[in-house]
Amino acid sequence: MNGPYATSTRAARWIASHVWRHKGYVLAFIALAIAGNILLAIIPMLTGAAFDEILGPAPGQGRSQVLVLAILGAVLVRGGTSLLGAGAMEVFAQRLERDARDQFYSTLLRKNLAFHQRQRVGDLMARTTDDVRLLDPMMSPGMAHLFNAVACIVPSIVFAGRISLELLIAPCLFTCGLVAGTVHHVRRFHPIASEVRRQSGALNAEVVQTLSGIELTKWSGQEEQAARRLQRSAERCRDLVVAQADIQARYLPPLLLGLSLAVAVLHGSVLMGRGELSVGNFVAYIGLMTTLRGPTQLLLAAVIAIQEGLAGARRVLAVIDDPIDDEHATSGHRARILGELVFERLSFSYDGATVLNDISFRVAPGETVALVGPAGAGKTTLSRLINRTYDVGEGRILIDGVDVRAWAFDSLRTQIAVVEQDVLLFSDTVRANVGFGLEEEQQRRVEQATERAQAHQFVTALRDGYDTVIGERGVTLSGGQRQRLALARALAIDPAVLILDDATSALDSATEDQIQRAMIEVSRSRTTVLITHRLSQIRRADRIVLLIGGHIVDQGSHDELLRRCKPYRRIFGAPVRPTTSALVAGEGGA
Amino acid sequence: MADLFSGLRDLDRTRRESDAELLRRILVHVRPYRGVVLLVAAVIVVSSVWETALPLLITHGIDHLHSTATSSSTLAGLVALILVGVLLAWLCNWVRQRQIGRLIGAVVLQLQRQTFAAVLRQDMSFFDRRPSGQIASYITADTQAFASVVTLGVNFLGQLVLVALVAVVLVCVHPSLAAVVLGISILLVAAALMFRNLGRTTTRHARRILATVNALVQESIRAIAIAKNFRQEERVYDRFRRVNTQLYDVSLRQGLVFASIHPMLNILTGLGLCLILYEGGRTVLSGETTAGQWFLAMQILGVLWLPLMEIASFWSQFQLGLAAAERVFDLLEQPPRVVQIGAVVPPRLAGHIEFKAIRFGYGGQSEVFRDFHLDIAGGEKVGLVGHTGSGKTSLTRLLARFYEFAEGEVLVDGHDIRSFDLAAYRRQIGLVPQHPTLFHGTILENIRYVRPGATESEVAAIASRIGSGRWLDAFPDGLATSVGESGWSLSMGQRQLVALARVLLLDPAIVILDEATASVDPLTEREIYESLKLVLEDRTAVVIAHRLSTVRELDRIVALRQGNIIEQGTHDELLARGGYYAELYETFYRHQETDYEALPVTGR
Repeated sequence: MNGPYATSTRAARWIASHVWRHKGYVLAFIALAIAGNILLAIIPMLTGAAFDEILGPAPGQGRSQVLVLAILGAVLVRGGTSLLGAGAMEVFAQRLERDARDQFYSTLLRKNLAFHQRQRVGDLMARTTDDVRLLDPMMSPGMAHLFNAVACIVPSIVFAGRISLELLIAPCLFTCGLVAGTVHHVRRFHPIASEVRRQSGALNAEVVQTLSGIELTKWSGQEEQAARRLQRSAERCRDLVVAQADIQARYLPPLLLGLSLAVAVLHGSVLMGRGELSVGNFVAYIGLMTTLRGPTQLLLAAVIAIQEGLAGARRVLAVIDDPIDDEHATSGHRARILGELVFERLSFSYDGATVLNDISFRVAPGETVALVGPAGAGKTTLSRLINRTYDVGEGRILIDGVDVRAWAFDSLRTQIAVVEQDVLLFSDTVRANVGFGLEEEQQRRVEQATERAQAHQFVTALRDGYDTVIGERGVTLSGGQRQRLALARALAIDPAVLILDDATSALDSATEDQIQRAMIEVSRSRTTVLITHRLSQIRRADRIVLLIGGHIVDQGSHDELLRRCKPYRRIFGAPVRPTTSALVAGEGGA
Repeated sequence: MADLFSGLRDLDRTRRESDAELLRRILVHVRPYRGVVLLVAAVIVVSSVWETALPLLITHGIDHLHSTATSSSTLAGLVALILVGVLLAWLCNWVRQRQIGRLIGAVVLQLQRQTFAAVLRQDMSFFDRRPSGQIASYITADTQAFASVVTLGVNFLGQLVLVALVAVVLVCVHPSLAAVVLGISILLVAAALMFRNLGRTTTRHARRILATVNALVQESIRAIAIAKNFRQEERVYDRFRRVNTQLYDVSLRQGLVFASIHPMLNILTGLGLCLILYEGGRTVLSGETTAGQWFLAMQILGVLWLPLMEIASFWSQFQLGLAAAERVFDLLEQPPRVVQIGAVVPPRLAGHIEFKAIRFGYGGQSEVFRDFHLDIAGGEKVGLVGHTGSGKTSLTRLLARFYEFAEGEVLVDGHDIRSFDLAAYRRQIGLVPQHPTLFHGTILENIRYVRPGATESEVAAIASRIGSGRWLDAFPDGLATSVGESGWSLSMGQRQLVALARVLLLDPAIVILDEATASVDPLTEREIYESLKLVLEDRTAVVIAHRLSTVRELDRIVALRQGNIIEQGTHDELLARGGYYAELYETFYRHQETDYEALPVTGR
């Protein structure tokens, strides 16, 4: 993901392929823009003709009225073409964005689970969706303005030439100056504009961070330190804004336009004085020069939008073109998993650091194994090797005697369920969420699974029961409720192996009871690999594997480990005083 | 320069002050920069004069050349004048852009300095009432809008001057053509206003939908991991396509509206030009108008176009700017509610705390405490327990002077805490919050934040006393390990250890501990438990206890309900009594027992 961006050529070709896909709209725009701009150039010519007619030797009311009507017609038709043209380009631009997003999403679907585990921590995805959003303004209005600018300049020059070849001097000089001036300016403006954006984003982030830590700041009397830091950031912003304004002030094309206009007036007047140019032609000529004002204003913004869009496209393509981390559907062993897991001398490294070292143990079918150990000991990583989220470095894992890598992905993933620490539920009904892994015909399993996960009660208490929409657009659930739904979802597919990464905590004992019951239900009669803090679950496990620093320090039942394993005792050592529940045993508790 | 599409946000109709009053206050605020403002105004006026003069010059040229013989000196003079004018106009623009950049930069910086200070002065009630994003926008966005009011005003005046000059010139030159041109101008402004309204409505509709749809797109991306686990890639892709299409539909509708505005205005302008052309031609034929004047009338509309658009967009942008200015002024003038009446630097406190007849509420809502009394001896460790809203958190905040109470007294060692120098007093209080704040930096820097003068060895000594120092083994670089943005790379438990280390470093007389409720891995739980005993040693402690292990260590538990003390005593005493505390135990602490087992379902 941190590789080089795609090349500009690649980006340009990619955009071209999208242009081809929607060529109807693009061709429509081009045709309309050309027609519109020709009309735009004709209008001054007709105006000039009207002047000549009125000022000429034999002014005829009729003919001049015809001219005015012609101009009226030209204005309306031109307006129509520019309206339709802008519309066509907008449609294309939005489709480009939509298709790019679609393509990006397909790419993400292609990537393997390890990629997705990693990216959860970063915000690469958010950034890339922002990059996709640069594509629409790149086309509309960016490319549209650019094309219109070119389409405007060409007829103006051609018509000016038709009046008199000499008159080409001013507009041609101006065009060259405009292009050179714009390119030069953008090259200097773009980097600083990006800097300004970046710095003001940084300032905002700093302000937000200071605010979210305000309690700490106030308590420790560090207001001054905080103020000074923010001040420095704000000063940097100010300096950049001033530098940006300085560069903006130096934008030359308006000066060039003014000078060209002056040259045009001079030239035109001289010719008019010599009688080589009629007043009408002079008027037309000045009118044509005036139409060049449009491109001058629009060109800069257009070029900037296009540049941004291209940069965004390159970043998006970097992700799309990258073949690393692609998951390939393999054929392989298919069978009904019974649930025997054997880890043989397993080792795994990540980013150069050894996470797991020489792990060996066996889990019988239906057993519940609790992985226990300090944070960062490798528990989660170990559990993810089972369903091939990651692939082992050394050693191997056997499921029912067959190497995990020999199994077909399909078979593996549909029979091994993972309940993550960070539960993700969709903005959809409860039914759809719990039944996520099920095919159409199996949907009736939803209620059964929900009941076993101790969630049926709160689901039926919701306004629409199982059809209640949860998530982004619906009801918000508590952490405990979400976990139980995730458990239900896993239960519904009736996996042979369950990997349960439990990190929720209950605020009150009643909820805790339910979560505990759900976890007991879920691990019944299937192989369960459990990562949890909950002591009562750990005690219940058939076997506990103590991992410290990527090694297995010991394994056995809770009592065995308490007896013989010092590190385990350190973690779960008996409390000093007798438990209070013994004291209240007679009080009819719950 | 404003363009037709800026400032399309809905206006907030809850402003109190009048436009004139706010404008006056803004001008007073900007007074130090009046030199720059006048310079910019002058430059804009010069530009406006030139913009009016150029078509006049050309007109004069046409008439002159058309009717009399060419005089090369006149022509040369004309062109020279035009060249000078063009250069002058560009120079004026150069000056204008640079000076406006500096003006805005300076005004915004000053405002930001003032708003930082104002925000940092506030007590916690200010922060609790508003999301931090909103407060951030006062500081970053509203200050910009404030500054832009000035430039907006100056630009607007410039445009008005231009339009006025043009109108005057036109009327002097040719009244009836002037009437036509001005009539068209008014129509254009009206049309622009109408389109802006349309743009605003469209944006309003689109924004709501877009926010939801974008969130769904993000959700679809996060959903891929789940999809892979369940082999449901197809289903997830179908969902995404539906959402993507929705996004396309909404964006397209909005985009089409905006894309059509300029062409429509151009059509109207073109129609106006036709009208001028016709009317001008007619009057030239009848001899009322010269060719030059006819040409002038046509050119003038071109000159007027951009200023007219800016005039149309001025008012709503100005209103937005005024609203922002009002928010900024409100913030700057907001008095902090926590005010000390003295500035005595307290000696090392013994930690004898007394709450006497405290009356306190969160403003507007029902009161939390009505006549609250509590006495805590120096060195005593007191726990506060109760349901949400019983007053536990409020009490600790009153003690730390984060909130101001309405009546009563809070005494420490017999002194009213309002008489202390606030910073000195707070240094004697150690605070361990539920969600400790970590910022970008190393673990060392994070611990040292509360006492910047501490040496590295001091911090290392403290860190090694926490959980027998072994918690640092989990970090590749020990104390020098970077914690990442807002400390994301640390687990919940590890963050608590950092917070505890901070308190140890500060060595305060009183500790306020608001325990986290999140579950933490057993090893870190153990380390926290051991560190807690260390931190609470030899200090007065007020603890909002959520952990059973903590509750058992305390000297006294105060059980609260809706701001009243229901029971007091040790954990064992209260449990044996079987009253309110025993109920709380059943609800909140039972499942934390080491021999806890989930109760079987009781057919409820």
